Amino acid sequence: MITDQTVFATTATILVFLGLFSMFYSRNLLKTIISFQIVVFGANLALFSSGLSQASNLMANTLVLLSIVVGGSVEAVGLALIVLVHRAYGTLDPWKIRRLKH
Amino acid sequence: MAAEVALLLCAALLVTVIAAIFSKSMSVTVIMLFYASLVLGIVFTIYQGVVIGLVHITTFAGAMSVMLLTVVLMTGETKLELGNRTLAALLATVTVLVVAASSYSLFSATPSIPQTTVQPAPDIFSFIWMFRPWDLLILIIVFAAAMIAVANLLSQKGAHA
Repeated sequence: MITDQTVFATTATILVFLGLFSMFYSRNLLKTIISFQIVVFGANLALFSSGLSQASNLMANTLVLLSIVVGGSVEAVGLALIVLVHRAYGTLDPWKIRRLKH
Repeated sequence: MAAEVALLLCAALLVTVIAAIFSKSMSVTVIMLFYASLVLGIVFTIYQGVVIGLVHITTFAGAMSVMLLTVVLMTGETKLELGNRTLAALLATVTVLVVAASSYSLFSATPSIPQTTVQPAPDIFSFIWMFRPWDLLILIIVFAAAMIAVANLLSQKGAHA
């Protein structure tokens, strides 16, 4: 029998792996941040689905809230760093940035 | 709630995320990510997590989408390719899926289902919910620290470049 929790847990796993795949294979720092956001979505969904089978899901809700705030903060700082990198190197390709540094 | 609603919402979420990952245009990616955030917020809201649904939509569909679009415009890393048929068809599919899921959950609701959202049950972790204002204050402090860091990073004062 398929339950809501099973569906959410499966979707969360797929989201995390899609995000990781995109993070490893992207050649643009903006796409890397977007992939990180997708991984955060998967983590949030996994945390939320873990509380669905319990009598009360207060702990899961609290953890999801914390995860949202931390994910948003990390993403904001990452975007600011991307702007600085673009100002300094003129590109967002990590391989070109590595070559320009040496 | 029936598992069909969860299946529909998760299908919509996966479609938007896959479109965001495999799109060649950065603007389409950001728009698809906005839709994914919205769908995930709806999932939280429908499954009795109204507070986190609201915070999720405010943070990711609101603030982060605007920041992403701003950075895309500042760096000029994309060509705006809006108005093509594939994007329109994809958006229409996502919209239909979300509307169908919402309608199903609305019409299948019975009066016996409690209308309240999150109730503090006698749980070992329920003390966390009792200290909710302090928890929210700490989260706001984390956000404020991140915004100060962003402001310092983007500040022109003291830049040597």
